[in-house]
Amino acid sequence: MPETPTDDARFAAEALCWLPDVTRYARSLARDEADADDLVQDTFLAAYRQWHQFVPGSECRAWLFTICRNRFYRLREREERVVATEDADLEAIAAAAIHQSARQSGLSDAFERVEIREAVQAAIAALPEAYREVALLVDLHDHTYESASRILGVPVGTVRSRLFRARRLLQETLLTHARDAGFGASGHQPTPRGPAT
Amino acid sequence: MKPMIDCDAVMRQMWDYLDGELTDDRIRAIEEHAQMCDRCYPHVAFERAFRDAVRASRQATPDTRALGERVRAALRAEGFSDPR
Repeated sequence: MPETPTDDARFAAEALCWLPDVTRYARSLARDEADADDLVQDTFLAAYRQWHQFVPGSECRAWLFTICRNRFYRLREREERVVATEDADLEAIAAAAIHQSARQSGLSDAFERVEIREAVQAAIAALPEAYREVALLVDLHDHTYESASRILGVPVGTVRSRLFRARRLLQETLLTHARDAGFGASGHQPTPRGPAT
Repeated sequence: MKPMIDCDAVMRQMWDYLDGELTDDRIRAIEEHAQMCDRCYPHVAFERAFRDAVRASRQATPDTRALGERVRAALRAEGFSDPR
């Protein structure tokens, strides 16, 4: 716990400023808004008590996300399910196969044409927990693989493989959604060439 | 020396590339390859559109003023001096 007003000032400047980000993360974890707000409060109280453990100059946002995630699983008394080790290379190859299939179905531009915001949110919510949490951190909260690795307490290679698997599962769900919405029947439209970036 | 890139390497590094996890040299090499490759260019466009669609689905930053006050009150009960 901070021992001086100076420590409190540092806590306010370096930790409390991340309250909106931690809230968004907590709401994506807990889904229920009231539970998420309780989780945010619990996170900052824990962070305050552990402030002496925070390494100055390290990434405070990631540190808070780690506490938030740990408190979430502790509050829910849930053990993280062990997921078999996946191979990121195999996932990359599978992703290429999905693109090939989408092209053949006339859905290569489905993600640009179809209104899929709600479908994406539903698909992320339906992902198995181990994949959902890595997709949340990297895709929705802009963490690097390294930062996600620290928050989740798993190697970077595991972050990559889980992330790639999550994206493949999302793509399969969203392409099914696009097909069900009636897209894809008109045949393949070539991607217009433009800047690669 | 410029890294050699072929379609297989682009496929394997697609997400690392789009997530900005590669070195500048490697990113440039992939971009140069994709620009010239009829197989990789649409694949990059497809994965980028997917990534953008996922990012666009994120919730707006919530209004946390009331929650912030609640958190500060809880912290003050723990001894937080609450400098503003």
